[in-house]
Amino acid sequence: MHAFAADAPPNTGPAYSPQGADTCLGCHNNATVTGLFRTKHARPNDPRGPFGHGGLQCEACHGPGGAHVKAGGGPPAGMVVFGPKSPATVAQQNANCLGCHQSNAAHDWASSAHAASNVTCVSCHTLHVAKDPVLSTVTQIEVCTTCHQAQHTDLFKPSHHPLREGKMACTSCHSPHGSTAPAQLVKNTVNETCTSCHAEYRGPFLWEHQPVTEDCSNCHEPHGSAQPALLKMRTPFLCQTCHEGAGHPSIFNTPQGLPGGAPSAYLLAGGCINCHSQVHGSNHPSGRALMR
Amino acid sequence: MKKRSWPHHASLAFGLAVALAVEAAAGDTPSTDTSGWKCMQCPFLQGSDTETEVGALAASGANASYGRYTGIDHSGTYVDAAASGQLRSDDGSYANYDVERLGLSSRDGYVEGGREGRYDLRLSYDGQPTRLYDTAVTPFQGSGATLTLPPSWVAAGSTGAMTQLKASLAPVDLGYDRRTVALLGRFFASPDWTIFGEFRRQEKDGTGITSGSFLTQAVQLPEPIDYVTDSFEAGAAWSGRRASFRLTYSGSWFEDNSDSLTFANPYLPIVPGSTQGRLSLPPNNTLQQLAGAGNVQLPWLATTLSYTASLGTLKQNAAFLPFSTLPGSTVPASGSLDGDVHLSHYALGIASRPLPNLNVRGNATYDGRDDQTTPIAVAYTVTDTFPGGTAITPRYGEDRVRLDGGADYALARWARIGVGGTFDDNHYSPGQVVTNTQDTESWGRGTITPIAPLSFTLKFGNGLRKASSFDAAALPPAENPLIRDFNYAPRDRVFSTLTGSWVATSALTWTLESFLAKDDYRSSPLGLQSSHEQRTSTMLTWTPRETLSAYIDAGYQRLFMLQNGYAGFDTAPWLVADTERFWNMSIGAQWVPQARWTLKLDYLLAPSYDDTDSTLGGLQQGFPQNWTKLDSARLEVTYRWTAALQIHLRYAHEEYNSRDWSLDGVGPSTVPNLLGLGLQPYHDNVNLFGLTVRYDFDTVHVRAPKSE
Repeated sequence: MHAFAADAPPNTGPAYSPQGADTCLGCHNNATVTGLFRTKHARPNDPRGPFGHGGLQCEACHGPGGAHVKAGGGPPAGMVVFGPKSPATVAQQNANCLGCHQSNAAHDWASSAHAASNVTCVSCHTLHVAKDPVLSTVTQIEVCTTCHQAQHTDLFKPSHHPLREGKMACTSCHSPHGSTAPAQLVKNTVNETCTSCHAEYRGPFLWEHQPVTEDCSNCHEPHGSAQPALLKMRTPFLCQTCHEGAGHPSIFNTPQGLPGGAPSAYLLAGGCINCHSQVHGSNHPSGRALMR
Repeated sequence: MKKRSWPHHASLAFGLAVALAVEAAAGDTPSTDTSGWKCMQCPFLQGSDTETEVGALAASGANASYGRYTGIDHSGTYVDAAASGQLRSDDGSYANYDVERLGLSSRDGYVEGGREGRYDLRLSYDGQPTRLYDTAVTPFQGSGATLTLPPSWVAAGSTGAMTQLKASLAPVDLGYDRRTVALLGRFFASPDWTIFGEFRRQEKDGTGITSGSFLTQAVQLPEPIDYVTDSFEAGAAWSGRRASFRLTYSGSWFEDNSDSLTFANPYLPIVPGSTQGRLSLPPNNTLQQLAGAGNVQLPWLATTLSYTASLGTLKQNAAFLPFSTLPGSTVPASGSLDGDVHLSHYALGIASRPLPNLNVRGNATYDGRDDQTTPIAVAYTVTDTFPGGTAITPRYGEDRVRLDGGADYALARWARIGVGGTFDDNHYSPGQVVTNTQDTESWGRGTITPIAPLSFTLKFGNGLRKASSFDAAALPPAENPLIRDFNYAPRDRVFSTLTGSWVATSALTWTLESFLAKDDYRSSPLGLQSSHEQRTSTMLTWTPRETLSAYIDAGYQRLFMLQNGYAGFDTAPWLVADTERFWNMSIGAQWVPQARWTLKLDYLLAPSYDDTDSTLGGLQQGFPQNWTKLDSARLEVTYRWTAALQIHLRYAHEEYNSRDWSLDGVGPSTVPNLLGLGLQPYHDNVNLFGLTVRYDFDTVHVRAPKSE
């Protein structure tokens, strides 16, 4: 919030416009610009915002416009134009946003994957509209998958989280401004993130299943899967990547086990889960084999 | 496990001290005189604005497949209603609300209010239906924690011999609803300080799918789901000019209103008295954490330092069930687990720009999962049938240190190069099959921007995971000592990505993302041998004018996995190869032919294919192909009758078909030793018509420009 008033020389020269937003709106008075006044950035009673008392108004984000005004318009010398065709560098564009937001919403931004990939704030955020699409659960996915296109394909897989139905957003799990967790998750670890909604699998159980305690993504593909329950592979093959004991864990499964042959409980319906249903852990005293 | 623990309080205090020191050093900077900036032309909002939308949806062909997350799960008519609005006063007091899908179980919305720059409150609700199957049938009766069989039931040794099975089957809807209510409050004590708190209650109830068994005879069951999770988070955040700090307490209390599911044995008991089975259901648990996080912008080389420290405990102490349903069975002497897991997370990140065209960054993270639960010896019973022996409950913990970093250098405005990597050192607690894994990954990338809005980035990398020696003695006796659990297994990885974007004109943009990865586990004698990923997607958008926009996108993915195993040590190894392929193609447009009309059209086609082959002794046997096909079209027409009144018409058609060899034709008695629920692959063919009227009671007005 301080950046609105800080780091700027006294308003004695052409650095800033003579009358702030009134000067800007004298020329830039169209719906594209004034849409900002339907947003949180234009609240006159909020001392934290650019239009609060003492705020630099339009120039809080776009930089000092004195030279631009003095020249009667034209190229906005010394100012920042945002967007992919901006002459300003990514760092210059983001600096104006981070001047206020680095200390709150984006305090992990500097070391984030998005910063490392030279992403600008306005690559995702649309500032001059009443509802920024990336802040809506329903429309956020369209913004994120503009770049993360593999995840766009994942949305249409048979097993998926309800993102395309508008009941979850990417930010339900990920922190796009950076975090200290893997994959910029919102919680410290994969498991803490998953169990913030799926708390029934949190345990600790009397009988634990080691890969469950370590990382849910050992078995599940959170962005979407062709297999049930977002599994990486279907049972019994998934289970056989770790379990190959003598007897049924290592049995060679073939199409002979399908209906029409000798239907096999190892293969059909839930496969291994038909008996070992407590794969996430069991609190039953006799749950050693995760069957109770 | 080598214990690594960093002093939590010391790290928090250190971070805060650095933040304060830097903040003090920053001092005051001169400010611009804005006293003459009256903002008289600024169209600030005042008054109230209410927009309501009311109408109906008519669905035909809807079922659990279509309604899985939408709530439109049967044919019929649904109320379609939504509303949003705001109220703003001159003194900065305000209220906003937005509610959607009010006639559906997927309804959600919020109401918030407060005073700008002083405080705000937000109350939200989110309904999330999850419909699983409406094709299930079961002979089991009752609901909740006890499932019985009809009095006429005739037990048998196999499902085919259960003479009363067909007559006893009754449909059961499988699915559940998740409802979340949250209340968030923030108080802006000063421009620098924010105090916040949030309470959240999530209820989840309905019927899921589980299964139980009596040694080798299994049964699929409808599982009662009746969960409540209360969460609370509170803290304070301070934001200075060059630093920030946040201290947060969070707690989450999970409560399951059913501790077990008891079910009748439909088979002939293997031993006398084994007429019931009992499954444990998820036990109540509690997670509490205290976290501090912040950042400091150091005055040198545009350097930002960020840090996080978090400590938590995860506890579970639900009462044990008896060992079995057999007469005379008791509970373990301890009565409950007294489960106690300590979670810790420390992270330090630094990012700097030592040169105008050089960015460097690095993060060091520690995660600890220290399970302090006392292992106990349990004389367990096998599937409520007979004693199985005594075993000691294993406890699993990890210490994980992760270092990652990278640097990017701009050679020119049109060219950037970068390098980076990660090092992941994971120590497992005693008793696990490996004690340590080390995963090293490195990459390099280059970005070229031949013309300003066109850029391509190519990235190559490789990784190597090493594991300590494999301790077969830590495996249960029946496991093959040659197996390497895939999450511990040594692995070689190579990967590459290509991304491209082109803002050809202000009207035309194109993006591309392509990813290739190959994981090789071939140093594992048995288990997962390799996996390959290939993902490519592209999108083109065209907006020639404000009244017309269009897009087309397409994606393809291919995932391949190969594993092997031995059915017996005296036989040849078997191989299983699985290949999944996905496509998605969509095209759409929005057109405003004249001021009163808006037309929107979207079409989507998304098929998937899954091929599994098993090979033994050179003889390959292919499973039937599993496939799904989603075919969807949507048309929306909006007519603006007046400035305030709109009529919205929409039509959607969706066809979804699938084949799944694990479900196709598998009825309750198809498998002799599995009494199933008869679940069938999803199919739907849905037509959805919607007609709503939207009215905008717009009394919001902009503050009239002030005169001097």
